Amino acid sequence: MDKALQLQQALQDTLGDLVESMTLALGEITVVVDSARYLPVMQALRDAPGLQFDELIDLCGMDYSEYGNAAWKGPRFAVVTHLLSLLHNWRVRVRVFVPEAANVVIASVTEIWPAANWFEREAFDLYGILFDGHPDLRRILTDYGFIGHPFRKDFPVSGYVEVRYDEEQKRVVYQPVTIEPRELTPRVIREDDYGRR
Amino acid sequence: MAIEGLLKEGFITTSVDKVINWARTGSMWPVSFGLACCAVEMMHAGASRYDLDRFGTFFRPTPRQSDVMIVAGTLTNKMAPALRRVYDQMADPKWVISMGTCANGGGYYHYSYSVVRGCDRIVPVDVYVPGCPPTADALIYGFIQLKNKIKRTNTIAR
Repeated sequence: MDKALQLQQALQDTLGDLVESMTLALGEITVVVDSARYLPVMQALRDAPGLQFDELIDLCGMDYSEYGNAAWKGPRFAVVTHLLSLLHNWRVRVRVFVPEAANVVIASVTEIWPAANWFEREAFDLYGILFDGHPDLRRILTDYGFIGHPFRKDFPVSGYVEVRYDEEQKRVVYQPVTIEPRELTPRVIREDDYGRR
Repeated sequence: MAIEGLLKEGFITTSVDKVINWARTGSMWPVSFGLACCAVEMMHAGASRYDLDRFGTFFRPTPRQSDVMIVAGTLTNKMAPALRRVYDQMADPKWVISMGTCANGGGYYHYSYSVVRGCDRIVPVDVYVPGCPPTADALIYGFIQLKNKIKRTNTIAR
């Protein structure tokens, strides 16, 4: 039997009704989980004898607000996790949509995989997703006086603040951005049957 | 303009400014400080093919022993306070060479949210070397330009 189908069967047996959907595309399995069942599912993925996804490969945020160049129905943010089972040589992708609320909060998986620590800090830094239960949720990539979350689709490319050296204060200070924003729309010239030949 | 007869005795005469500028331009020690891909070209300039050593230019591991700072690469907002601190730690007189388009004015990242739009917003710059990245000989040309600039300054006779 195909490896991906084996994995799909194993996931079906273990997780059952806990997941919202499971799709097999291009030999890869994507599991979509409801945010309320996120932690139990992740715990099961790691600990269930038939799965043992003991390695977290990647965790990242997603902003769906302009997905598919159309208005997006449903929660704006998602957290996507890639897991690897060393025992079975299986990989799986888990997507959980963050519920719409005043604060974008999702449970942290650092208790299950300590490797998630910096990945969750990155997702917090770039998307503003808060991870409940994270031991040290600080920015990790952007600078210390940064304002905003740059990978959000509504973030202006030049940001909100810039730095310069202040002669009086003898230190590097922050100030509002002084340059005009610029948007480049590339002019694409293509034949009508481009990509279909 | 030697005073008559002294050369035979083993003396020459010159101005103090000329001696000072000769000393300053003869051993310009940059601090080893690379930020991005320009740093690789800077290393090429220091390595055997272009060999900055023959101009008396040695990379120093500490700003305390350096005269020149080469801002070689993209200066990000997060790096800016650190760059300024390294500059402040250098002993006077000190000079800055801005190397590459990113350091000159932000370059490719001019509209970015995380990059300083020119390192002259953080430190005073003496020579701007254009290029993306500048070749090693362009950096050496920048050094020669900086030397020409230093030779024009007077420390005693202002």
